Amino acid sequence: MEYRSEFTGSPVVVMIEGVLTFDDHERFRELVGILADQAPGPVVFDLSGLTMIDSAGIGMLIMANDRIVKRGGGLRLRGVSGQVAKVVELSRIEQLIPID
Amino acid sequence: MDLAHSQSEHDDPARDRILIVDDQASSRLLIGSVLEAAGYTCLAYAGDGVEAIEWLAANTADIVILDIRMPRMDGFEVCREIRCRLALDLPILVQTGIQEADCRVDAFKVGASDIVSKPLNPGELVSRVRLHLERRRMIGRLQRYQDRMEDELRAAQSMQLALLPGPEDVAAILQPRGAAMTTFYRASHMLGGDLWQVFPVDGTRFAVFMVDLSGHGVSAAINAFRVNMITAGLVRERADPDRWLAALNRALVPILPVEHFATAFYAVIDAAAGEMRYAVAGAPPPLILRGDGGWEELPGRGLILGCLADAEYECSSVQLGPQDQLFAYSDALYEDFENPEASLGAGDIAIAVQAEAAAGNDAFSARLLTRLFGRPDAEFRDDLTFLLIGLNAP
Repeated sequence: MEYRSEFTGSPVVVMIEGVLTFDDHERFRELVGILADQAPGPVVFDLSGLTMIDSAGIGMLIMANDRIVKRGGGLRLRGVSGQVAKVVELSRIEQLIPID
Repeated sequence: MDLAHSQSEHDDPARDRILIVDDQASSRLLIGSVLEAAGYTCLAYAGDGVEAIEWLAANTADIVILDIRMPRMDGFEVCREIRCRLALDLPILVQTGIQEADCRVDAFKVGASDIVSKPLNPGELVSRVRLHLERRRMIGRLQRYQDRMEDELRAAQSMQLALLPGPEDVAAILQPRGAAMTTFYRASHMLGGDLWQVFPVDGTRFAVFMVDLSGHGVSAAINAFRVNMITAGLVRERADPDRWLAALNRALVPILPVEHFATAFYAVIDAAAGEMRYAVAGAPPPLILRGDGGWEELPGRGLILGCLADAEYECSSVQLGPQDQLFAYSDALYEDFENPEASLGAGDIAIAVQAEAAAGNDAFSARLLTRLFGRPDAEFRDDLTFLLIGLNAP
C-alpha cells in the first residue's frame, strides 16, 4: 500500500493505492497518526488506485474512521471498484463510513 | 516467563565442557592451562581423531578445540564425523599451523565453526572460546523458547479443533432432520479465526452457523473461542437468523477491538418443508446448487459483526428441493492476493463444487481443492472453511 496526500485543504484527500492487507498495518497506522496531527477536519480516502483489500484492510478503514470521528472530523470513501467494491459491498461498511 | 532463569542457563566457565584434541601432548597441556587460567576447568583431552570421536560418542561437550594434522584420523575427518554421523551442532574451533587459504576454506566446508592459528595467542583463544560458548547458549535459549511456543500452540490448536463439531455430532442433529453435511476447516497459522457450528432448533429444523473472525493466528483464535461461548447462550433466538445475528453482534461490539470484526452466515433449514431462512453479516454469499445443474448466489447482505451495537440484520428465505445443496465458504477459498487476476468467481466455485459433489461424499474436500488449486494440501494465506449441506442424505 502507498498513500499520497498534500495533507492540506478541506477535505484532506488521501490517495490510497496498491493492495491493503494485514502487511500494511504499520504503514496505515502511520497515515492515521499523520491525519490525527495535521488534518483536524473532514478526510476523504480516494481508493481508485486500490486494487485489493482483505479483512484486515477493512478493519484498518474502520479504525481510521473511529480515530477521525473521535476527534470531531469525518471520513468518506470514494473511488471503490473491482474486488474492493465487492468486499466493501459484502461488509456493508457504508453503514459505518459514507461512500461517495 | 523469564528466559534468563531457564534451567541450563549459567555464566560459570567451570560448567562449560571443553574437549581438546591434539596429538602433541605439549599442545594439549598449553591449551588446557590457558583455558584453566580463564576459569574453564571442565576439560577433557583426546590424542587423535579416533579418541575424540569415541569420547564424543559417550560424553557431551559444549565446544571442541581441534587440531588438523593428526595420525589415524585428521581434523577434517573429525569435523565430518561430528556433523554427519554424530549430528552434533556444538561449535568446533579448529587450530592450525597451516597458513594456506585452501586448508582454512576446507575446514569451514566440513563444518568447522572458527579457526585459530598456531602458535596460539592465549588471549585470542580464550576470547573465541567464550564467544562461541555464548553464541551456543543464546541459540539454545531461542531453541527452547521456540519449542515451548510450538508446544503451547499445538495444545491450543487441539483445543480449537475440539470446538468444531465432529462427524457424529453433526449426524446426530442433521440425520433425523433429513440432511447431511460435509465440512472442511484449515487454519493458515496453526490457530485460526474460523468457526462453524450446528444446532437443533426443533423436531424438524436445524441451524448452521459459520463465522470468520478478522485476522488470523492467536488473536483470531481467542475471538473464535469467545464467539463459541456467546453462541452457546443464544438459544431463544435460534429459530430466527436475523435476531440471532443481531444478538451475537451486540455481544461482540464491546469485546472486539475497533479494527476487529467478524463475518458470518446463519441459516435455519427445514428439509421436510424445503425451506431455508438465513441472514448474512459480511460473509461471502453462500451458493445454492440446484439438483438440475443450475446454481445461484444467495441474495441478502448485512453489516459485519462487532462494529455497530444497534446493527440490524435481514432475514431472507429460499426454497430448497430434495436434490439441492447448500455450499457456504470463507473468503480464503476465492481471494488470491498473490495473483488478483486468479481470484475465483462464484461461478468457478459453483461449477467445481457441483462436479465434485456429483462424484459422492468420499474425499469431497480433497477433490474440490485439487480441482480448484491443483493439490489437496494447497496453502492459503487465510483460514479456510467450507460446508456442503445436502438435503437428501444418501
